[in-house]
Amino acid sequence: GGGGGGGGGASYQRFPKVRIRELRDEYAKFELRETDASVANALRRVMLAEVPTVAIDLVEVEVNSSVLNDEFIAHRLGLVPLTSDAAMAMRFSRDCDACDGDGQCEYCSVEFHLAVRCDADQTLDVTSADLRSTDPKVCPVDVARALDADPTSYDSTAADQRGIIIVKLRRGQELRLRAIARKGIGKDHAKWSPAATVTFMYEPSIHINEEMMETLTLEEKSSWVESSPTKVFDIDPNTQQVVVIDPEAYTYDDEVIKKAEAMGKPGLVEIYPKEDSFIFTVESTGAIKASQLVINAIEVLRQKLDAVRLQEDTDLGELSAHLHGGG
Amino acid sequence: MASKAKNPDYAALRELFRPHIDSFDYFLDEGLEKALLSIRPAEIADPSTGSKLRISFEKPHVLPPMREGRLSEPLFPFECRQARTTYKGEFRVDVAFQYDGGVVVRESFNFGHLPIMLKSKLCHLRGADPQKLVFHKEEATEMGGYFICNGLERLGRLLIIQKSNYPMGMVRKSFRARGAGYSDKAVVMRCVREDQSSVSLKLYYLQNGSARLGFWIRGREFLLPVGIVLKALIDTSDREIFVSLTCCYNDKYQREKGVVGTQLIGERAQIILDEVRTLSLLTRLQCLKHIGEYFQPVMDGFESESHETVAEAVLRDYIFVHLSNNHDKFNLLIFILQKLYALVDQTAAPDNPDALQNQEVLLPGHLVTIYVKEKLQDWLSKSRRLIQEEITKDKSFELKNLNHIKKILNRNSGSVGRAVESMIKLGRLNTASGLDLPQREGMTIQAERLNYCRFIAHFRSVHRGASFAKMRTTSVRKLLPESWGFLCPVHTPDGEPCGLLNHMTSTCCVASFYSSDGKIKDFLKIRMSILTVLVGIGMTPLTPKLERAGPPEVLHVLLDGCVVGSIASGKVEKAVAHLRSLKLFAVSGIPEDLEVGYVPLSLGGAYPGLYLYSNPARFIRPVRNLSHSSNGSQSIELIGPFEQAFMEIRCPDGGDGGRKESFPATHEEIHPTSILSVVANLTPWSDHNQSPRNMYQCQMAKQTMGFSSQALKFRADVKSYHLQTPQTPIVRTRTYSKYCIDEFPTGTNAIVAVLAYSGYDMEDAMILNKSSVERGMCRGHIYQTETIDLAKKLDRGDRVLEIFARSNDRKMKSSIDSDGLPYIGETIHPNEPWYSTYNTLTSVTKPTTLKGSEPVIIDYVAVDGTSSKNYMQKVNIRTRRTRNPIIGDKFSSRHGQKGVCSQLWPDIDMPFSAVTGMRPDLIINPHAFPSRMTIGMLLESIAAKGGSLHGKFIDATPFATSKDANQDNPSKPYSVVDELGPLLASHGFNYHGVEVLYSGVFGTELTCEIFIGPVYYQRLRHMVSDKFQVRSTGTVDQITRQPIGGRKRGGGIRFGEMERDAMLAHGAAYLLHDRLHSCSDYHIADVCSNCGSVLTATTIQPQKRAVREILGLPPARAPKSFTCHACETSKGMETVAMPYVFKYLAAELAAMNIKMELRLSNSAKATE
Repeated sequence: GGGGGGGGGASYQRFPKVRIRELRDEYAKFELRETDASVANALRRVMLAEVPTVAIDLVEVEVNSSVLNDEFIAHRLGLVPLTSDAAMAMRFSRDCDACDGDGQCEYCSVEFHLAVRCDADQTLDVTSADLRSTDPKVCPVDVARALDADPTSYDSTAADQRGIIIVKLRRGQELRLRAIARKGIGKDHAKWSPAATVTFMYEPSIHINEEMMETLTLEEKSSWVESSPTKVFDIDPNTQQVVVIDPEAYTYDDEVIKKAEAMGKPGLVEIYPKEDSFIFTVESTGAIKASQLVINAIEVLRQKLDAVRLQEDTDLGELSAHLHGGG
Repeated sequence: MASKAKNPDYAALRELFRPHIDSFDYFLDEGLEKALLSIRPAEIADPSTGSKLRISFEKPHVLPPMREGRLSEPLFPFECRQARTTYKGEFRVDVAFQYDGGVVVRESFNFGHLPIMLKSKLCHLRGADPQKLVFHKEEATEMGGYFICNGLERLGRLLIIQKSNYPMGMVRKSFRARGAGYSDKAVVMRCVREDQSSVSLKLYYLQNGSARLGFWIRGREFLLPVGIVLKALIDTSDREIFVSLTCCYNDKYQREKGVVGTQLIGERAQIILDEVRTLSLLTRLQCLKHIGEYFQPVMDGFESESHETVAEAVLRDYIFVHLSNNHDKFNLLIFILQKLYALVDQTAAPDNPDALQNQEVLLPGHLVTIYVKEKLQDWLSKSRRLIQEEITKDKSFELKNLNHIKKILNRNSGSVGRAVESMIKLGRLNTASGLDLPQREGMTIQAERLNYCRFIAHFRSVHRGASFAKMRTTSVRKLLPESWGFLCPVHTPDGEPCGLLNHMTSTCCVASFYSSDGKIKDFLKIRMSILTVLVGIGMTPLTPKLERAGPPEVLHVLLDGCVVGSIASGKVEKAVAHLRSLKLFAVSGIPEDLEVGYVPLSLGGAYPGLYLYSNPARFIRPVRNLSHSSNGSQSIELIGPFEQAFMEIRCPDGGDGGRKESFPATHEEIHPTSILSVVANLTPWSDHNQSPRNMYQCQMAKQTMGFSSQALKFRADVKSYHLQTPQTPIVRTRTYSKYCIDEFPTGTNAIVAVLAYSGYDMEDAMILNKSSVERGMCRGHIYQTETIDLAKKLDRGDRVLEIFARSNDRKMKSSIDSDGLPYIGETIHPNEPWYSTYNTLTSVTKPTTLKGSEPVIIDYVAVDGTSSKNYMQKVNIRTRRTRNPIIGDKFSSRHGQKGVCSQLWPDIDMPFSAVTGMRPDLIINPHAFPSRMTIGMLLESIAAKGGSLHGKFIDATPFATSKDANQDNPSKPYSVVDELGPLLASHGFNYHGVEVLYSGVFGTELTCEIFIGPVYYQRLRHMVSDKFQVRSTGTVDQITRQPIGGRKRGGGIRFGEMERDAMLAHGAAYLLHDRLHSCSDYHIADVCSNCGSVLTATTIQPQKRAVREILGLPPARAPKSFTCHACETSKGMETVAMPYVFKYLAAELAAMNIKMELRLSNSAKATE
């Protein structure tokens, strides 16, 4: 996939390329090439803060005799990641016309129920597995994963499948509540952020001055190699030459350059970040798959650009008039 | 969590509270009984029948706290806190009545209730394990040591008082004011009886060479010539007195080391003896008669006694009360005289009353003992007076009839318990004598549970005395070397109480009446065994009629303020070493906390002698005795501040500390951190910080919002702060785990980046990551409990007037339940009703609205069911307010680095690490470091980063490295960074803790490497929500019509003179006019231009004309017209704009018969 921009006059259009390196449900690593930092960072920012997900937003507590107070439990419930594959298609409750914006209709919300009471002498954990969803598509991610793995043997009371602890109850304590999950974005509240972390690094280009390197003894070489806290360089056991084994392990910490200078060999190695090549790492909370997160982010980004383009004649016209014409 | 063991060991924690509990235990066990027995029985004689009644106190009985009612169920502290009552037990005393020396009749009298200290011997929680404590709705770590008075937790203030039974040489100008001929020198001794009541004695030096003995009786100082006292004490001769006095001088020694006497002493002795002779008092009997005659009017209950008996009583009750034997008193007086003369002749230096060396501590149990004693004494003398009055007044009253007597006695017996309770409640001593204490107010303080550090610090704090707070001189506030190891040099507040309010170090304890095996010490036995040991090592016991020598030949040996003998100065050092070694073994009979104060011979130094102290209330601390270093725990010796000044104690840093070889170290500190208090010890690597920063941290640790209580659900504190999700610090000191601070954590491990980003982190501001806050970082609550007692509102009527009830108003049903109380979990907004009451007389239901400016959530409602009436009269409503971090809230690291949140920055705009994708939780400015030099914080960041990568807690005990590292390689300078750096490098991070970060806004690399790592951050209790103040218009002052001040009342902030000056300097005239006039008390006054008065304008009543009312509109007001009351015309009336205070000023001046006149010119009118 790819995004693009266009405009009148000279074309600065580029065609970014994506190469996927690793893809798991909750993890993605890919290269983004032939674009610049603004696009890469926009993608990062959108993934963190603007890809919509579903999270519990309203909690009506009926009974709460647990040790934690209502707000604390509501906050904890909000942070439970819910499966949000349908989030892109859902409506924000603020502009849902089916329910006049009170956010309780099927188009913009999912209702959850939780009713647990401890009658045993042992402490009872109330977990995300106790949340009963009215929409099978939206449920806590750990429950969904357990169901996915083996729907037949899934047992919400099994000790190893208890999910995220919300509160612990002792004998006689009870928790009964109704929760409304709504669509939202991470910009509004961190609970709607689908990404645990998104980061990108500039791909380094490393040039070893082989000539100068040969003037070093083996000991000097190895001490130079050791000076990097990450394993970027190594010495070939056969040729005894310094080789770059993992350029991406380089953290731009300049340790090797400083070391070379300290050894009296400035210019032993030159390392530059490539301005148009980025390596992305995406970790998802599980609300949506990492791959889907990237696609959704591009979609959101495109919608934003569309919004700008559609407004071109009106708002932007005014803006440019203001910039050029005004006194 | 690794640190969360099954059963945490609270023994170390308990030790911190022990001085309080031990002292109260002793009060219950023995102190009270001893005090009662020492009260002089009252004797009443009936003049008509001649029969005599003798009333005396016998055994006291204090019972554990019980609930009221017939079923005697135990009362638990939890109930007292909730019901706002006092945790107290019944106090009874057996009073013995004896007629004419006949049969003794015992009657038990109820003296009210005494507050019981929690976890003392009578507390139901004594010895309870955590499970039981939790069952009784207490903290698992409940330590006790405080009282509960009206639901408030109050503890005795530890006060510094003068060292007991030690004669202290003092030079004070005020001594001259005692009378003509008095000098500024005196020897002062605070003599303490076994029940801890004390009498201070002063021996003043007169210019003529004589001395006067001064002591206070009922607010008046009495001065006796010392010669009379000497002669009155024992049968002696002038020669004996002369020889005893002059024994400290010998021609043999001229100006040698340790010589204290001079040849003047002979002349002085002569003067003393001459003084007595001029009064023609030759024998002991004559002296006694003289004293008795003088004191008879002031001695209560001695009206009918002979002069000798009175004199004996004076000698017993006021002179050297710690001694019972007159021979001992005589010897001590001689010793003190010698010290006084040495002080005068400057052969001995004065003692410093501000040095800890000459101080000890007042413990709450001891205070209660002496207070109860005095109250009972008062009761007895008052009862005696009443009975005597009754005998003369009432003919039918019979002294013989015990029932009559009892009736009178019962009248005011409850006052004793009430007095003690009110003393603890208010901290005010209500006494005539002053109890020989330095102050009467502030004897107790409230134990706030803001967080555990603050709570502990209350029990460890030691106050120098309220009277010093007002003093201009700063000498009392100085940190003196004498307090080394006993009082923490770091943990004292800055500002007003600086240096006066100190804290005991973590290892410092207070000597108690209990030996280490929990038995009450038998001081008689202890003193006997000390004496035998002393004699065994070469002391010559003091026998009367023996000519003695003085320093430098021999040193006097004083045991608990009693001269017991002398020891040759050559032998004394060996003797001291022997005594010290015996202290280490329990079997020796020498108490482990015996203070061996050996003051060596010196030239003009402290007065030499061997001062042994076994009494309680002394500070003690453990050090290692090097002569017994071979056998581990056996070598730990307890030393006091008096002996410490003369000991050679080595610090375990490997160096000799500049000690000369001629003074080899005999002792060693156990660990350098023992000089720090518990709170100061919690600062990681405080040895790498600039010292004032550590002081600030001690302040801030006590203001931190933490996990204040685990039993929060059952508490009814007026206000308590609670952190929702606290964490255990990654970097911590050994003290942290030793005192189980994990039970009450106070902060969050925040990822802190040190960089200037966005400018919002200037000047100690800090940027918080909005997403971190949304995920729960530093979130908290404020709980407030309001007790509503309807019975209290009324003026003492026993009829139930108001009850909780709800009216059937629909509006009220939403927030108030049918019982008139709010629903639990309901949010109540300001000015909404939150409970309602029904008045049974007027049948009116009245809701009470919530005050304040913030909405609250009802957390808990408790009804007091102990009152006998069937109506609910007393309820506790606990409310909760969420306090999530917002702009303006205050935070601090553990290194005195505080800052205010200036922005909640979106996560995506925060700088991020390309390697890990981490964004900081918090950004602080690098300028916070260079001038403050809190290197400990940088170390903490590096260490916590390494620790979290490694999955380990890092030990950051201060001085730990100086102790361990220098042993093997002293030449190489040791650095903590060298230990932490490799840990980081092994995980692929930079050695010095920096990282390459990328701008969150642009995605480009930041030009600098950024120092980033986890730092334990505390949220302080100062929050904008409690402090912001805003006003446009509102209430004005009644008199001046200017806006009122004060946040609570919706007032404004004063625009003061300096602000005015700034406006003037800017020439901002219009703004100035706006602030000071238009927005303040703008007023249009009617002024009479004829007489120039502002005050004479009066309205003319408009004639009643039928004003046509237009429907829907208010009736048109007739324009007001004014007339001048003085001129009786309305011709010259003008309106002038002026500040209303100006008009008020005119009125005030008029009241003083000053007329203020305004001259109005027409110039303004001309421009119109």
